[in-house]
Amino acid sequence: MQCAESLRIQAYFDGEVDAISAADIERHAEHCPACRALLGDLAQTRARLRRDLDYPQAPQALRERIARTLDTEAAADASRAGDASRVADASRVAGTARAAGAPRPVGPPRALSSWRTRPFWQGVLGGAVSALAAGLAFMLLFTAPRDALLDEVVAAHVRSLMPEHLTDVVSTDRHTVKPWFAGHADVSPVVADFAPEGYRLVGGRADYFGHQRAAVVVYEHGAHVINVFAWVAGGERLPDLTTRSGYHVAFWRVGNLQYAAVTDAGWDELLRLVRLLRDLGESDAR
Amino acid sequence: MPHLDAAYRFARWLSHSSDEAQDIVQEAFLRAFRSFDALRSADAKAWLLAIVRNCHATARQQEQRRGFVPLPEEPDAQFGAETLAAAPDPESASAALDDKRALDRLMAALPAEHREVLLLREMEDLSYGEIAAVTQVPIGTVMSRLARARAALKVKWLEEAKGGPRAVR
Repeated sequence: MQCAESLRIQAYFDGEVDAISAADIERHAEHCPACRALLGDLAQTRARLRRDLDYPQAPQALRERIARTLDTEAAADASRAGDASRVADASRVAGTARAAGAPRPVGPPRALSSWRTRPFWQGVLGGAVSALAAGLAFMLLFTAPRDALLDEVVAAHVRSLMPEHLTDVVSTDRHTVKPWFAGHADVSPVVADFAPEGYRLVGGRADYFGHQRAAVVVYEHGAHVINVFAWVAGGERLPDLTTRSGYHVAFWRVGNLQYAAVTDAGWDELLRLVRLLRDLGESDAR
Repeated sequence: MPHLDAAYRFARWLSHSSDEAQDIVQEAFLRAFRSFDALRSADAKAWLLAIVRNCHATARQQEQRRGFVPLPEEPDAQFGAETLAAAPDPESASAALDDKRALDRLMAALPAEHREVLLLREMEDLSYGEIAAVTQVPIGTVMSRLARARAALKVKWLEEAKGGPRAVR
């Protein structure tokens, strides 16, 4: 007798579910004999396969044969390629290789330690591949964290729009909001009510991201919420003005504080608030 | 050479022959080497196995075009013999060898598409997403195939245990 949950049980067994679903599935299995039995079967099958199925290594002769083939290929490659044209050719070569039947790589770039950069033929290829790898590494080092930051800020904004998540301290008085941060966040950002300019202060919140408790000041402009995040600047470079998932994001920096403002209001509305805050912050810092 | 063993194992199961597997793997490494995507690949192993699979499919197509009919596969005694030599006492070694042969038979009897997801998951430890990329099917299909493959293997193995003298642990 199979339970309707059997595919979820399997996914749980294979480590393909998040912690929340896992807890959910464990609760279900406690009360479902069919699923408990399935978990037992899955474990048994895996154990038997891993114990008894041939797990041969590639023959040494094959290893040597491939090494020779690739050496020849690499030598031909290196003599064909000029230094700079190599990089420029990269996308074209990748394109033809794909057409030749190589499938697309799986997922987004995560690791740089590709096997092609391993010492084995690094020497053979001379500088060409390692230079390219270094270039990629450089790009990834400096783009990936900025993207992560952007994602984090937008995610925090979206989270804040869920019921009861917008503010921890509700006040239109900056003398209430600002001291509140002292106990709840790692930074003390500029807080002001720009109601006359159309930006109403609604409160503050502490969000945890970038490994610190960021202070968030919440403004409303008409029907739009604008979250202004502030945290201690690390060495990171800030993204430019960006639109992500339909939200506009602006970054700026005053003193040692990094700011990001996120909103679904228009660019003009967002940038006006950014200008007000920046001016205020700079006169504050002096 | 990273993932060479995994590539070889996978090719062997696809082709049922060590010689053919070696040719396939060499071709796959050459293709992989020529592609700059390798540098950007998040998971070189899944990517390489996908190329191995393509190379095998290409080889099969060429054989068919030439009207070549492959001989029925012979069980390869090579690895069993290694186990026998390595084990401390001959009796437990032959029991282990029986288990191995039985499992090889069961695996060989599975449909190829079931065998392949099972190998990629249980032996090569690929995620569903990676298996989907290697086998070029949606993740949902990977999940259902995997479930069917596991159930089928279990059923065959219980049948064998009932019919044969040796109890399967």
